[in-house]
Amino acid sequence: MAVDADVVRLRRGDLNALSELVTRYQNRLYRYLLRIVREPAEAEDLFQQTWLRVVEKIRSFDASRNFDAWLFTLARNLAIDHLRRIHPQSLDEPLANSSHSETVADRIPSKDHTPLDHALAAERRTEISEAMAGLPMIYREVLTLRFEDEMKIEEIAQVTAAPVSTVKSRLQRSLEQLRYALEARYPGGTWQ
Amino acid sequence: MSEHERIRELLALAAAGALTSAEEKQVAEHVRSCIACSNELEAWRQTASELRRLPTPQPSSWLVQATLARAEAKLTEQAEHDWNHRVLILVVAFAWLTTIASWPIFHFLSGRFGSLLGPQFTGTWINFAAFTALGWLTGGVAAVMLAIRQRGERRLA
Repeated sequence: MAVDADVVRLRRGDLNALSELVTRYQNRLYRYLLRIVREPAEAEDLFQQTWLRVVEKIRSFDASRNFDAWLFTLARNLAIDHLRRIHPQSLDEPLANSSHSETVADRIPSKDHTPLDHALAAERRTEISEAMAGLPMIYREVLTLRFEDEMKIEEIAQVTAAPVSTVKSRLQRSLEQLRYALEARYPGGTWQ
Repeated sequence: MSEHERIRELLALAAAGALTSAEEKQVAEHVRSCIACSNELEAWRQTASELRRLPTPQPSSWLVQATLARAEAKLTEQAEHDWNHRVLILVVAFAWLTTIASWPIFHFLSGRFGSLLGPQFTGTWINFAAFTALGWLTGGVAAVMLAIRQRGERRLA
């Protein structure tokens, strides 16, 4: 694996390298955090905390390793700590007496949509985005890492500190739950 | 579980590009002859395609600038801290060596060269050096403990 020159420079305390890295990863990192915590204000706070943690820990990072996975692991740990602290009764916990995939988040009322809206591709993406937001955290996470960040399964396993088989299993379940959620929005029809 | 059911369970992962090459080959062979699985795979591929094209939320430029400013300040603070740490070690080492050297230098300057080589002087000098080392070591440990405590307080703030 090629050593990232900006990471090496940051380890030496180069401020320009920090700027390069923040610019390079800003969209991916912010999107990942937003998918996990769902609240923009919380994602913004975690975004700042993640980069402060990067500066704090960069010297302990082995520059020959995958910086992406390390960065997202730091962000993940901060986000999970935040969720545990701020939302002790997590929205991701399945409800008692509910169907197999229903969560508290699923019961949050969503906007009504007209048939015309359903026909539009942009609206479909909004629907997918909303359905995704209603999934448990570990499913939202694996979906965004695989499809939006286009990480390999092995990289996702590194970020989430889970075996590859577990990542695959989560990926499959997340897609299935996403489909259930989308089909639930269009009862009697197909969301596609 | 039939072959059809087994392959059907792999279709979501096939669309996600998460199968091994052997599994991919099995799926490809099966969907050529199974219309239901072919349609199912196409539906999963469409879902995967939509997921890949979800709009990416952008952090505001204010957030990026604020983050950079805070991170740069921290990086600068760390660099200053490291520099101070190195200087402190050098100063302590210099002060200790000066303290140890002061006794023989005093003897040398006062013209008592012979006493420098005497066994009594050597013993006294070693005791003096050990005593001052203990003093500096105690001070050093206290400084390190204080620094650790301050770091902990900064982290909690």
